[in-house]
Amino acid sequence: MKKLLKSLLMAGAVATLSFAGPAAQAEMKGKIYYMVPTLLDEFQTESVKAIEKFMKDVGYETQTLNADNKADVQQSQMNDVIALKPAAIVLAAVDFDALKASIEKARAAGIPVMIFDRQIVSTPSDLTSVAGTVEIGYVAAGEIQRLLKEKKGEVKGKILQVLGDPADPYTLDIQKGFEEKMKAFPGVTIISKPAKDWEASNAGTIVADQLVANPDIDLIFVHAAHLAVAAVASMEAKGKKPGDIMLVSSNGAPVGLDLIRKGWEQVEVEQPLYAQAAALAMFADKIVNKQPIKPGKYTVLGLESELAIEKWGANIKIPGAAITKDNVDVPKFWGNLKAPTEPVKSVE
Amino acid sequence: MTAEAPTSSLPAAMPLRTRAMVEFVLENLVWFILAIVLAVFSATIPHYFQLSIFANIVEQSTFVGTLSIGLALVIIAGHLDLSVESTLGLSAMTTSILFASSGIGMGLTLTPEWLAIPASLLASLVMGALIGASNAFLVIRLQLSAFIVTLASFLWVRGLVLVMSHGRSAQGLPPPLRSIAITNFLEVPLYAWLSVLCFIVFAFILRRTPYGRHLTLIGGNAVAAFRTGIAVDRLTAITFILTGAIAGLAGWFLAIRTSGASANLGTGMLFQAFAAVVIGGVSLKGGVGKLSGVYAGVLLLSSINTAINLMNVPAEYTLIIHGGLVLAAVLLDTLKLAIRQRLA
Repeated sequence: MKKLLKSLLMAGAVATLSFAGPAAQAEMKGKIYYMVPTLLDEFQTESVKAIEKFMKDVGYETQTLNADNKADVQQSQMNDVIALKPAAIVLAAVDFDALKASIEKARAAGIPVMIFDRQIVSTPSDLTSVAGTVEIGYVAAGEIQRLLKEKKGEVKGKILQVLGDPADPYTLDIQKGFEEKMKAFPGVTIISKPAKDWEASNAGTIVADQLVANPDIDLIFVHAAHLAVAAVASMEAKGKKPGDIMLVSSNGAPVGLDLIRKGWEQVEVEQPLYAQAAALAMFADKIVNKQPIKPGKYTVLGLESELAIEKWGANIKIPGAAITKDNVDVPKFWGNLKAPTEPVKSVE
Repeated sequence: MTAEAPTSSLPAAMPLRTRAMVEFVLENLVWFILAIVLAVFSATIPHYFQLSIFANIVEQSTFVGTLSIGLALVIIAGHLDLSVESTLGLSAMTTSILFASSGIGMGLTLTPEWLAIPASLLASLVMGALIGASNAFLVIRLQLSAFIVTLASFLWVRGLVLVMSHGRSAQGLPPPLRSIAITNFLEVPLYAWLSVLCFIVFAFILRRTPYGRHLTLIGGNAVAAFRTGIAVDRLTAITFILTGAIAGLAGWFLAIRTSGASANLGTGMLFQAFAAVVIGGVSLKGGVGKLSGVYAGVLLLSSINTAINLMNVPAEYTLIIHGGLVLAAVLLDTLKLAIRQRLA
């Protein structure tokens, strides 16, 4: 019995050492939790890799928790993480409003909260790194105006806008930005339909129905590249060829870039995923040590970015880019999946 | 105590022809409702009344429709299978990873190229059948609740899709597979016809073969079926495996339609399939139902979705309408039962 107990104790000690080993060996500065909204989306899965890599560059171990697109799950995860007292939390909120109280609770407990990708302006946070969802809508609007003008001589025509899930503020913000910029063109008709659950076949169904009801659609704007694939499949099934109907998408996922190469898609509005993630790592030391952050211009992975102190805290905005067939192969676009290998350095 | 005479003399006075007609209407009530709904939409929604829209409705019914076949079988057998949606996702992802050329697709090429069709179909069916077999083992051999077992499968199978794909997508299926989506007959793509064929085959099996009749008996009263010598466990296991394989087939159709798969492909289809099955007149208590009604239920849901796509109705109302339809179906079922009792 004693022998058995001794063996068990030894095994336990070995297990404890092996779990504690990597962190101890790397002499990490602390643990940061990344609260990812979902893993059913290429942007998010790539963001996990990017944040883990860049945080490691500056000495932090990152643990990722997936909320499966459920705000209540993310709230519970926040409560659990607060109890663990990590060095900081990186939050990409499922719901901008629902997580407000959790952010306040974490900060009240002395845990800094950094906001990634999905801007929350209703409560203060320690650092926000975004491309700006409304701004994505602006960029898309500018590109769509250009495409319509090139095709029809002026900005006019019929646009089918396929949103993501109607309950997701992310897609609603893109819609807001896009429609705000298109208001100036009364000759443009926009038909907006949401693809529930961001599910591709729902987008395909909308496109198939609308192509029958509105055969004069000039351009389709979908809010995510994986929805663009289903849109193309529906166009192809209706006998359309690349370029017959213009297609614009957002987020810059690899499948969107492939569609540009194949001629089906004209523009993909990229979210600068790598730079957004790198910006968090650059300022992580200052955030964790509660040091002030200076506003001004910073170069993040080669992108000129503006850091401003807003009423909700430090906010770094990294410009999104329009990807076309002319620049589709540029490695900096995350859709080409060539993550920067050079380590990120902390801001002094 | 004396039995009270019927207050109405309708059943007794009703001529045989009228009675047969009432029975026919009751038996096919969902089809009549579908006809009325289509007529109303055609008259009131611009662009709705055209062949291409009806073709779209049939096409869009393919995935939930095929999923509903298996779900109806297992419910008629007196069980439940919540795993079908995730099985569909896994099958779609398997086909896409193997044969798609972009994203995480391996771009497998076979010679001749058309071999991609049977190979991917086989992979999808086997994948689905394996999940069905694991459900069957746990439910029948270990006597666990089908609800819990298939709920667990719903979760772990979707998790497996995530593990396989790492959240990424595989896109760009080869031309032979895409041809099933872009080759039309009467404006309806081939895969939709294949789904209709599945309905016909399984409706025949359910109505005209010993397996189908025994399945209905098992769902009605498994103990009585066992006492009459029916191999209850074996037939139930076959049904779970068939349900899984049919979900695999639905996933194959879906991958072909979207020319690949993303990790969330098919989410939300389980509840649509349940709604179609219930609207189609299949009793959740088991032992009652036929597939023609289920197909009408699927078409009804699809025609409403299409109407919402064409109208300026916010999409969130779709769920309210679906929920209302399911409730209406249950109420209609009760009404049908009451009328039948009066006719008897």
